Amino acid sequence: MSLAETLSELLPPGTELAFGELALSRSASGVFRARHTQDRDAGALQPIETVRELRELAKNDAAGEYRPLKTAPGLVGGWTTETDCPREFLKRLDAIYPGVFAAACAHAEGRADAVALRATLDRQTGMYRFAGTISDEDARRVVSEVCAAGCLRHVVWPIGVDEAPSPPPRDPGSIPLICLEACTFAVNKARELAKEAFERSQAQAQA
Amino acid sequence: MNVSKPDSALLLLGHGSTENPDSSQPCWDHAEAIEREGLFGSVHCAFWKEEPNLRQIWPMIEESEVYVVPNFISEGYFTRQVLPRELELQGHTTKRGELLVHYCDPVGIHPAMTGLLTKRALEIVDEGVRPEETSLIVVGHGTGLNKKSTEAIKVQVEAIRQSDVPFARVLDAYMEEAPFVADWRELTDTPNVVVVPFFIADGLHSYQDIPVLLGIESEPTAAASQREVFRQNPYRMDGRTLYYSSAIGTDPSLARVILDQVAYFDEHYRT
Ligand code: SF4
Repeated sequence: MSLAETLSELLPPGTELAFGELALSRSASGVFRARHTQDRDAGALQPIETVRELRELAKNDAAGEYRPLKTAPGLVGGWTTETDCPREFLKRLDAIYPGVFAAACAHAEGRADAVALRATLDRQTGMYRFAGTISDEDARRVVSEVCAAGCLRHVVWPIGVDEAPSPPPRDPGSIPLICLEACTFAVNKARELAKEAFERSQAQAQA
Repeated sequence: MNVSKPDSALLLLGHGSTENPDSSQPCWDHAEAIEREGLFGSVHCAFWKEEPNLRQIWPMIEESEVYVVPNFISEGYFTRQVLPRELELQGHTTKRGELLVHYCDPVGIHPAMTGLLTKRALEIVDEGVRPEETSLIVVGHGTGLNKKSTEAIKVQVEAIRQSDVPFARVLDAYMEEAPFVADWRELTDTPNVVVVPFFIADGLHSYQDIPVLLGIESEPTAAASQREVFRQNPYRMDGRTLYYSSAIGTDPSLARVILDQVAYFDEHYRT
């Protein structure tokens, strides 16, 4: 089954689903609709009809700040997008949460496994190589300070390669935003913490 | 060259940025232009520093084959190491389960870039400006950091010299190594000068640094007026007329070169 068909099946006519900060619904006649959860029952909303405009909308938050991490909270509201084509609807969702629906499907069907943080860090080269020296404790700080604090995704990846991943929550009323591998922000934080720990140990050795 | 591959996907790879929201825009623009032509089953972008990330892209691809074109200006650390590593590619074609992944050369090294640079330069000068009275300067960053991009520029400059467009001079110049773009007045002796940055996207270099080096801005401009620098052409300075182009990678015709790179793959690497 294609991704668009799966989406159609998950959202039959007359139903609703939550997807991060999006409220998805489908009318009795089959039209797909997405809007911000805060606008679920709002009346007058700006209709948006292209992938390009949706991508533009997801680019900045309400204060005009760039949102490089698309699953960070802070998607602006005030709009609605509707189409009767499932493939087009998926493209529009991808403009807001790129690849997130595909990842949820692939993971649920056993086609995409989580990658442990240590595997991700050990693969790095150049200036990120150092991130691999991070302690387990600091690695947990990455999860709490970057992921839990600033991202809507559920972290599936474990820290160590021998640890079990954390399965996504099962909620029939929503499509999970899952994270199968640490992103550039998490890797960056890991590098920062690893560097700080190294500098601390150097300073102690000298003292 | 005509490419029609309804059973294949096309994937453009970009660097992306966590700070500059404009850096991925050309990649999306080219993807959209190609998608409109309906030549591929689907067209995607993935980035090193943005989303969808390189590592997240596979579940999005539903065709049985995908052509991967790095939207990079030259070969180098990214196209040879980072991209293949992140996408787990080996050689020209990699089998990933049911999916065949064809890794094309970066867009910037295709021979069609020569025509694109020339077209860009001729387009931006005013009507009536003769190439014989015009110098074309192709600008790169320079310094050891990316030797390959310097090489790529030299190749282009030589190819334009050999072409039938009679520019008085065609030169390469750099921000941080000789010949310096800041010396454009001494490097050229024609009434008209066209400067084209050989970058894949506009950013601080093309908005701010090069304009300051050229002397068309006295200090880096505020973010809001960044694109203004391209709208104020021509600049009249010291009895010369200077035309300053946005980065070559933002030219809509780059979409064509991306398709050329796919065709090149089929002709040269496909077994
Ligand atoms: S690594 Fe953390 S911050 Fe990055 S996408 Fe995953 S959950 Fe979000």
